[in-house]
Amino acid sequence: MPRRYPLFLALMLTVTQSVTADSGPGTAKDVVSAAEQEGKLVVYSTTDIALVVPLLKDFAALYPKVALEYNDLNSTELYNRVISEVAAGAGSGDFLWSSAMDLQMKLANDAYALAYASPELPHLPQWASWRNEAYATTFEPIAFVYNKRLVKPEEVPQSHTELAKTLAGNTDRWRGKVTAYDPERSGVGFLLITQDARLDPNFAETERSYGRVGVKLYTSIGAMLERIQSGEHLLGFNIFGSYATARQRKDPSLGIVYPKDYTLVMARLALIPKAAKHPNAAKVFLDYILSKRGQELIAEAALFSIRDDVEGEHTAASLNRELGGTLKPLPVGPSLLVYLDHAKRLEFLKQWQQAIGTK
Amino acid sequence: MRQSSWGRVAVVLTTGLAILSPLGIILYQSFLDGPFFQGSARPSLSAFRFVFADADFYRAFGSTLIVAVGMTALAVPLGGLLAFLVVRTDLPGRRWLEPALLIPIFLSPVVIAFGYVVALGPVGFVTLLFREAVGKAPWNLYSLASVTVIAGLTHIPHVYLYTSSTLRAIGSDLEEAAAVSGAGTARIAWTVSLPMVRPALLFSGVLVFFLGFELFGLPLILGDPEGLLVLSTYLYKLTNRLGVPSYQLMAVVAVVIMAIAFPLVWLQRRLLGASGRFVSVRGKGLKSAPLRMGRWRWAALLLVLAWLVATVVTPLAGVFLRAFVTNWGEGVRLREVLTLEHFTELFDYPNLVRGIVNTMVIGVVGGAIAVACYAAIALAQHRWQSRWAKVLDYLVMVPRGMPGLVAGLAFFWVFLFVKPLAPLRATPISLWIAYSVVWLAYGMRLISSALLQVGPELEEAALTMGASRGQVTRDVTLPLIRFGLLGSWLLVFLIFVREYSTGVYLLGPGTEVIGSLIVSLWGTGAIDIVSALSVINVVLVGLGLAVALRLGVRLHE
Repeated sequence: MPRRYPLFLALMLTVTQSVTADSGPGTAKDVVSAAEQEGKLVVYSTTDIALVVPLLKDFAALYPKVALEYNDLNSTELYNRVISEVAAGAGSGDFLWSSAMDLQMKLANDAYALAYASPELPHLPQWASWRNEAYATTFEPIAFVYNKRLVKPEEVPQSHTELAKTLAGNTDRWRGKVTAYDPERSGVGFLLITQDARLDPNFAETERSYGRVGVKLYTSIGAMLERIQSGEHLLGFNIFGSYATARQRKDPSLGIVYPKDYTLVMARLALIPKAAKHPNAAKVFLDYILSKRGQELIAEAALFSIRDDVEGEHTAASLNRELGGTLKPLPVGPSLLVYLDHAKRLEFLKQWQQAIGTK
Repeated sequence: MRQSSWGRVAVVLTTGLAILSPLGIILYQSFLDGPFFQGSARPSLSAFRFVFADADFYRAFGSTLIVAVGMTALAVPLGGLLAFLVVRTDLPGRRWLEPALLIPIFLSPVVIAFGYVVALGPVGFVTLLFREAVGKAPWNLYSLASVTVIAGLTHIPHVYLYTSSTLRAIGSDLEEAAAVSGAGTARIAWTVSLPMVRPALLFSGVLVFFLGFELFGLPLILGDPEGLLVLSTYLYKLTNRLGVPSYQLMAVVAVVIMAIAFPLVWLQRRLLGASGRFVSVRGKGLKSAPLRMGRWRWAALLLVLAWLVATVVTPLAGVFLRAFVTNWGEGVRLREVLTLEHFTELFDYPNLVRGIVNTMVIGVVGGAIAVACYAAIALAQHRWQSRWAKVLDYLVMVPRGMPGLVAGLAFFWVFLFVKPLAPLRATPISLWIAYSVVWLAYGMRLISSALLQVGPELEEAALTMGASRGQVTRDVTLPLIRFGLLGSWLLVFLIFVREYSTGVYLLGPGTEVIGSLIVSLWGTGAIDIVSALSVINVVLVGLGLAVALRLGVRLHE
């Protein structure tokens, strides 16, 4: 698996990829030539560069005149950086790509985003874009993850309801062994748990079962996966299937379950800020990521392709076949902003703390 | 004299600008209800009201106090003892031990904490061995007590460095006199050496206490599973509390921390008011014979080694182990999971390679320039009976009270919004300035400690002979403290290479350094790369230390 090569963009001309001509992006010719004039593209992203090296290399092979600079940031840093750079008039990234859907949506809603009707738009689901400003680029299921060495297959819950039952049924077995994002400290964790509150009819009970086993809450997905792998914890919920799959490739003792009652689907949202210095290059990159050719590499990176004409293990198409109607993608739109209201957010957190018994 | 005063005032003003501009932004930000650069932000006390009404704030404050007091109580006596053992006694192997004693200073706390998780966590390899042998491991790594003890043990070298450089600077003739009069080593340590190093112990005690208030890496990782909060991690938590970044709340916490810092500086000044009492470098040679400890020397060695095993070997073993395996923990056979892949991966990423290069450059070159700046400031202050000197003295302590994370953010704003500085933002120079200011108090104290030991009569003699103030500085004072300067450079190098929190908000293409890359990658979950980078960081610093020793920066003479 040729996952990693040196990322020297200049050398990428030599990379050969067997890609059929018609799977390439349908960007208008004048946009491409304007992008080549600009010659540069600055990407701010929360996606670990390790996952997207093949994607970036292929882009460089396709558009050798556009030098791509990739900045790996966490989602809060990304948002902070953009609003402060725009306020200083110092220019900003050309392409913002983040898994913090709410913060990306807030940028779009606060008029930071440039509207661009991507020619790839017809190949995306209806819910996957907002006013041609914010685009969903992936289709990442949210999973339960467990340690295969230490958890028997029959112990593994297959749905949120089962999770609550399993935990409540044997609190001693699971005490201190269950992990998740801390909604107080992690924006993504907050977004996920509020979706659970919306979709799980027995959420109050589920929540209490978390409290009963003393769920361990973290800010970083790496910390959670690491501790499930090591056996310090046994089971994690609300974990990105994409990261877990990438980790599973290195350590097969990691087990992944997509809950059968409902599986949340998150997307990495892309947007082009109005302050972009290289807007055309950004448009070309957006079209490329959404194109069949780009999405095939997204699927290979286990970030899950959002296009239904891309086949393979890590695609919306295969998830739809497997899980069908239980997939619950978060629609791209102002509904993501509900809990950015301070009072609502603090109210939810207070209720959460009471339920799991930390307050 | 008049002219050199103007030079000194210029130094004070430059230093003031570098320190007060980020401080000013933070202060201003704390009295607004939104980010200062957004038009919608209005003056308000709402941020203060929010923080002071928050139960978590008081919880975090209490924990911070416990940690800071506990680690100071642990580090100061042990650091002082260590310095005495190494500098004054016939401790076996003390020459080759000394570089090892400094290792905890230049290990990033994030790295140490991560290493402890792999070694002493609930399924760490030491814990598993212990459990096999005894049945149950009696410690909980994720408790406030563990954080305090680890912080205390890892801060011993700070105290050691101050105290040992003072001990070396003062002649051992008083101790020899006591020995000749028949006093035992312990008695000499207690009644002769201790009073002489009291200024160094006080300085380092206050410093360690400060460091306790801005401890970030250790509680971030070790406090995570149990939800332990200290002020800095509370501040970090505030970033997401309201969903969007709440700079005003973070600024309030920073202001609170600084409000604690100022009285401490004042206290320190009071305690050290009559520092002239301790001058003991006289115009004569200082050759010393080590004090004998008899058979106690082996017990002392054992104590030092035990500390090194607990503070250095254990976490480093954890980090190295993690760097060479794909996974670890309960039920994993390590032989089956060995790999070198994490290291080969590193070189696939230009930003990581740049980070390694930048780290070295900022450490070596930036460290040297920083020491030159610190020396200029210290000399400006040296024997200057002026109100300006007092102002300077308080000024340099200020940034140390700012958590590195917040100082980094403030500098990010400074470089963003001050147009003439904007071109520096994407270069390592911006990082260097931030580092130099954040570590100003630390570097200054190193140099001041050396200056404090220079007797005024040597300089006065030169002045009497008609030398100008500049000549005195160049020909008398500087040569007398040159070993102090070299030692400071080495120490600043180690600190800059290790630094992790200040660079987090300045991190971007061109400003990557290993420390902030580790924090950032930890957040995204690339633990493999984090462990490999940590190992490289440790190895680089080890090499730097070896080179410095080879070049003759000998801390043990």
